[in-house]
Amino acid sequence: MNAISFSQVTRAYGDVLAVDGLDLDIPAGRTVALLGPNGAGKSTSINMLLGLLRPTSGQIRIFGETPERAIARGDVGAMLQEGTLIPELTVAETVGFVRSLYPDPLPLDEILRMADLTDLAGRRAGRLSGGQTQRVRFALAIAGAPRLLILDEPTAAMDVESRRAFWDNIRAYAAQGRTVLFATHYLEEADENSDRVVVIARGRIVADGTAAEIKSGVGGQAVSFTMGTQSVAGLDTLPGVIGVEITSGRAVLRTSDPDATVDALYRKTTLDVRGLEIAGADLEDAFLALTQES
Amino acid sequence: MVKHIKIEALRMLRNKRYAVFVVAFPLGFYLLYSNLWGDQVDETTGVKASVILMVSMGAYGALASSIMSTAVPWAQERESGWLRQLQITPLPSWSFIVTKLIVSMLLTLPALLLVGLAAVLTQGVSLPPGEWAGLVVAMWLGVIPFAALGLTIGSLTRPDTAQPLAMIGMFGLALLGGLWIPLDIMPETMRTIAKVLPSNDYATIGWRIVAGEAPPASAVLGILGWGVALVAFAIFAFRRATVRA
Repeated sequence: MNAISFSQVTRAYGDVLAVDGLDLDIPAGRTVALLGPNGAGKSTSINMLLGLLRPTSGQIRIFGETPERAIARGDVGAMLQEGTLIPELTVAETVGFVRSLYPDPLPLDEILRMADLTDLAGRRAGRLSGGQTQRVRFALAIAGAPRLLILDEPTAAMDVESRRAFWDNIRAYAAQGRTVLFATHYLEEADENSDRVVVIARGRIVADGTAAEIKSGVGGQAVSFTMGTQSVAGLDTLPGVIGVEITSGRAVLRTSDPDATVDALYRKTTLDVRGLEIAGADLEDAFLALTQES
Repeated sequence: MVKHIKIEALRMLRNKRYAVFVVAFPLGFYLLYSNLWGDQVDETTGVKASVILMVSMGAYGALASSIMSTAVPWAQERESGWLRQLQITPLPSWSFIVTKLIVSMLLTLPALLLVGLAAVLTQGVSLPPGEWAGLVVAMWLGVIPFAALGLTIGSLTRPDTAQPLAMIGMFGLALLGGLWIPLDIMPETMRTIAKVLPSNDYATIGWRIVAGEAPPASAVLGILGWGVALVAFAIFAFRRATVRA
């Protein structure tokens, strides 16, 4: 069964289409990244998925139910972009209250342990640091043992170390067979923590696959070498080449077939090729290529 | 819901502003005023000022509490994202406003009971058991319109607007309703205003009970009318504030 299904979902703010005919199915048990630049429609999609916003048209289902029903059944937990806690309540009180709202929650000790909060259980929320507050918000998201966990740019306020610890916790949670959907504009985060990346830009899906598939779909690899002052004429007609860039005396040929390109570079040109390097395009290149199209 | 009520009550009891305005203020002023004028006797009813002041300050405490525990916290919860956090849990939204109302009513009890206790212990106030019971029940149920007013403010405004509005509502209702200054020494226009305010109806019911009389129908109807209108308005404002856009 699909954990999440968007069919032809559109959301307009006045004349602007924040989400434009989104079709997306996410099978249960997957960890999926929703990757896109700011303003791509990630948060709008997530807020619709959580029933906080209504789609202008189209239909959204969570485990076959409307978002409202799925939330009422306790199937969904989420960490939204912002949200503060009640300053007068302790971590344990806050988490204990939210878990009590769900029909079949995780034990309190386990939630605190999974969010690295055991030592902070008795501290009032008003005295927590930003990173600690984020951990409490993660604890609230998993408190009800939801089958679907949704995270909207969860690591935006975290430093590198807390980010790593945070993703370890998410992976542990997902490993129990649960579905995780997270929005991010960090490419690395999408690459490292998901088994599928959905790239959205201007409210539409522009790519969908594993991080590796997305990389190879966009100009695969890059062949680069030192040009010096030689003429660039003819480089763009070499086999496989789809783009040529010259920066400070170095040529970078974007190619779908690096073997053919290198072969032709040596045999069919008279260039003096030095310092040759072949590199896989990184996800960032792929991402930029995808989101800047049109 | 029980857990929600507990958590909400706990959080207000730990709030310093609540403790000062709602518990320390009425208690402190009761002790001050009753030491100054407690022995004066009202000529028409024969009730001692220490008893009348007990009702006035209890009424002020309860009124202040019901507005303080609703308007600003609720406005803050909406703005800070706590409301959204709860909207994505199975907690139904009707349970939210009912909880707020119940908690607000529970939180009036410390002020009411402490002022009453201070009256008994320091001024030797004594009333027949029936009058005590009637007084506590009337003063407790009578805060519903004020709690509804606080919830309305919290639903319609942001925290920085809710704060002064709650203060104005709280002190305005107390002052103009005759809780701080007896109506008899007020100018005519202020007395006319007081007559239509729910705070005056509220306190009047209490004053009559301690005088051994039945509360006047006008005051009971007045507070019922305000109660129905403000609760309806609070529900409307609440729905507007929590609607899914």
